[in-house]
Amino acid sequence: MKRRDFLKWTAVSSAGLALPGSLPVLGRIAQAARGPDLVVARGTPTPQVVRAALDALGGMKRFVARGDVVILKPNIGWDRNPQYAATTNPEVVGTLATLCFEAGAKKVRIFDNTVNDARRCYRQSGIADAAAAAGAEMVVMDGRKYRDVRINGTALKSWPLYGEIFEADKLINVPIAKTHSLSGLTLAMKNWMGVMGGVRFRVHQRLDESLADLCRVIKPTLTVLDAVRILTANGPTGGDLSDVKRLDTVVAGVDQVAVDAFGTTLFGMKPEDIGHVRLAAQAGLGVMDLSKLQIKRISV
Amino acid sequence: MSELTLTHGRRIVQGLFLALFLFLFIQTESKGADELGWPVKLFLDFDPLIVLTTFLASHRVEGLFWLSFILVGLTLLLGRVFCGWVCPLGTLNNLAGSLRKKRPRAPGPGWFRVKYSLLVGLLASSLFGVQLAGILDPLSLTIRSFSLALYPAMSYAVTSLFDAVYRLNLPLVTPVSEALYALLKKTLLPFQQPWFAQGTFIGLLFLGVLALNLVQRRFWCRFLCPLGALLGLLSRWSVLRRSVSEECDSCGACAGVCQADALPAGKETWRASECLVCNNCDDICPSNAVRFGLLKGQSTGGLDLGRRNVMASFFAGAFAVPLLRISPLARPRMSDARLIRPPGALEEAAFLQSCVRCGECMKVCITGGLQPALLEAGLEGLWTPVLVPRIGYCEFNCTLCGQVCPTGAIRRLPLEEKQRVRLGHAAIDRGRCLPFAHATPCIVCEETCPTPKKAIWLEEVTVRDRAGKSVRLQQPHVDLTTCIGCGACEKHCPVVGQPAITVTIAGESRSQEHQLLLQDPAGPAPPGI
Repeated sequence: MKRRDFLKWTAVSSAGLALPGSLPVLGRIAQAARGPDLVVARGTPTPQVVRAALDALGGMKRFVARGDVVILKPNIGWDRNPQYAATTNPEVVGTLATLCFEAGAKKVRIFDNTVNDARRCYRQSGIADAAAAAGAEMVVMDGRKYRDVRINGTALKSWPLYGEIFEADKLINVPIAKTHSLSGLTLAMKNWMGVMGGVRFRVHQRLDESLADLCRVIKPTLTVLDAVRILTANGPTGGDLSDVKRLDTVVAGVDQVAVDAFGTTLFGMKPEDIGHVRLAAQAGLGVMDLSKLQIKRISV
Repeated sequence: MSELTLTHGRRIVQGLFLALFLFLFIQTESKGADELGWPVKLFLDFDPLIVLTTFLASHRVEGLFWLSFILVGLTLLLGRVFCGWVCPLGTLNNLAGSLRKKRPRAPGPGWFRVKYSLLVGLLASSLFGVQLAGILDPLSLTIRSFSLALYPAMSYAVTSLFDAVYRLNLPLVTPVSEALYALLKKTLLPFQQPWFAQGTFIGLLFLGVLALNLVQRRFWCRFLCPLGALLGLLSRWSVLRRSVSEECDSCGACAGVCQADALPAGKETWRASECLVCNNCDDICPSNAVRFGLLKGQSTGGLDLGRRNVMASFFAGAFAVPLLRISPLARPRMSDARLIRPPGALEEAAFLQSCVRCGECMKVCITGGLQPALLEAGLEGLWTPVLVPRIGYCEFNCTLCGQVCPTGAIRRLPLEEKQRVRLGHAAIDRGRCLPFAHATPCIVCEETCPTPKKAIWLEEVTVRDRAGKSVRLQQPHVDLTTCIGCGACEKHCPVVGQPAITVTIAGESRSQEHQLLLQDPAGPAPPGI
């Protein structure tokens, strides 16, 4: 916690203590000044939707400072073209990179520990081209740069994670919304499997707990969930266009659990239907109760 | 050596062709698109030995076979210029030979004939349907050795070096070495470290070929190379001829520099079939008595291989056919369960007749799963490509192996067709599978299955663990109508050692005898020719 935040927090809480019963109100006022918890932006074209979502959240300048090194972590796990909705929409990634640069970022680095061949995934997903157009670096992950991170979770005590995500100034999670046969859905939290080293397919034995555990140590600056196209069956790999549903939607927020909680509704589910969302909320890693969140919906 | 001689010119040309060869070799790697952008198998396309033996064995020729006619024509015109000026293995032999400081030995009287015997034997076996030429063909040999051994070893050495500096984390030094490493990764180094079964052995064989230069310079080219022998036969009628004028005082200087056994010293003895047109004899001649010119001078010193020799070689080559074919492994339904061939591979008999074991497919395979066979297909299938899913699965959207195959042993299939080719079927080992055997959730095989309708489906069941507690989990099953045997499931199965799901050749498209289902609701698989 930075000094300024600490002072702010102290001021707010002492005000709350001074006026018993008024804390939620004050909290809401403070929050309104910062912007909503979640922005759900819908429409076309996609780049404008992403821009509108960020604007409604207070602008990229709220998250990225001049000279920052920013990491964008899309889901590029599979060798698929964008229309199959198995990988994050390249326009979403590209626009975010542009917004980071506009906010003064020095470098934007993009990577994912892919399951299929990284060369193919980066290229076929369209993200390599989008990154190049925005001036961002597409990074092939380097096996030497994973380091054991203490997690002290319920399933994961420690695990090798990609060091760069802790070294960068800012970390932005850019997942896509898809089905997954074990976790139910793969949204923002599950996207952190893409920074895991080691034999990560072992975590499926206690997947929900493991995903919640990852959120104990990975705290992104911002999460932007791509639901331009969502994959409704045969996830997470897809491959059949009839499983793809076009929503033209982007969900942005700071609380990754809240983003995932809202993400479940895109599939007609409730947050508590998804085990890892439930566990993360129970562990106090974020809010899944949508009624407690200030959600701003905008159309472009 | 101030004036520019033909020898200098030759060395420059050799260097350029070696550079081209290495460049195309390095380009034999995916950059993420499904095309490589370079004609990486160009040297093989020009190789008449490969075209001829493949045609004899399989009665088929592949796309760019006519390029080999260019080399045939060139040889008819100028003799074995390919050996002397172009062949990358010849150039490497030259380089290795420069380590030998002593003058060449007097050539053994008939050793040069060995390569003709090998050629006759290889032609005979291919005539009766066994394609072994690729084992000794110099281009195939070089590409295979580079792909499976030398390049991986180079990569390992360089990467280890940079890793060591990275771990030391020295100020100033490590940042520089990392920048250099990044540059090498972009240019000379492979995208990822290749690992090949038999890499050590194949590498030692190649180093052995180079080491033979210490016994005699260009030992391989003089005595063993079957392509050199084929070009030598064609050179007998070459219109480029060597003449020696009256100024020759038989000083013998030329004999010491001849790169082959062409007997340049005697006026009447010169063997056109052995001459590599290296021009050393011309350059060194103190009396300037040697001339190479078109249709001037005597035609040839003749090439008497001996009828007995030729007959013996022919029968040896022919007899190799039944000797190799008595292996049950070459029979349908008796073949090795793990003889998983690349997508688009011909039916096994035709495949063996076409594959020249050049290693191009193994070099280009994006996951590194294509490995050289040892005895999985019998000795006849030595070094032919086999998919070993635990090392690397067949990438669903990739068709590279079919693109680089010089003989069509692996057909070049349109992506949509390739995606329907079954390499085999996956099968689950319930004794090892976590949800079946250990009441432990796991769906990794299903998750990584690439077919649009997943070939692995999950059944939700309740099982009991040791304590009698009910566990709700999903157990995987393989749908034989959609499984293409790509091996992604086997590759990613978290069960260490022997994975709980493995692919075998059951159901592979290319073999009628290996079909599993009486009726295939997914429709007939694309036929293997």
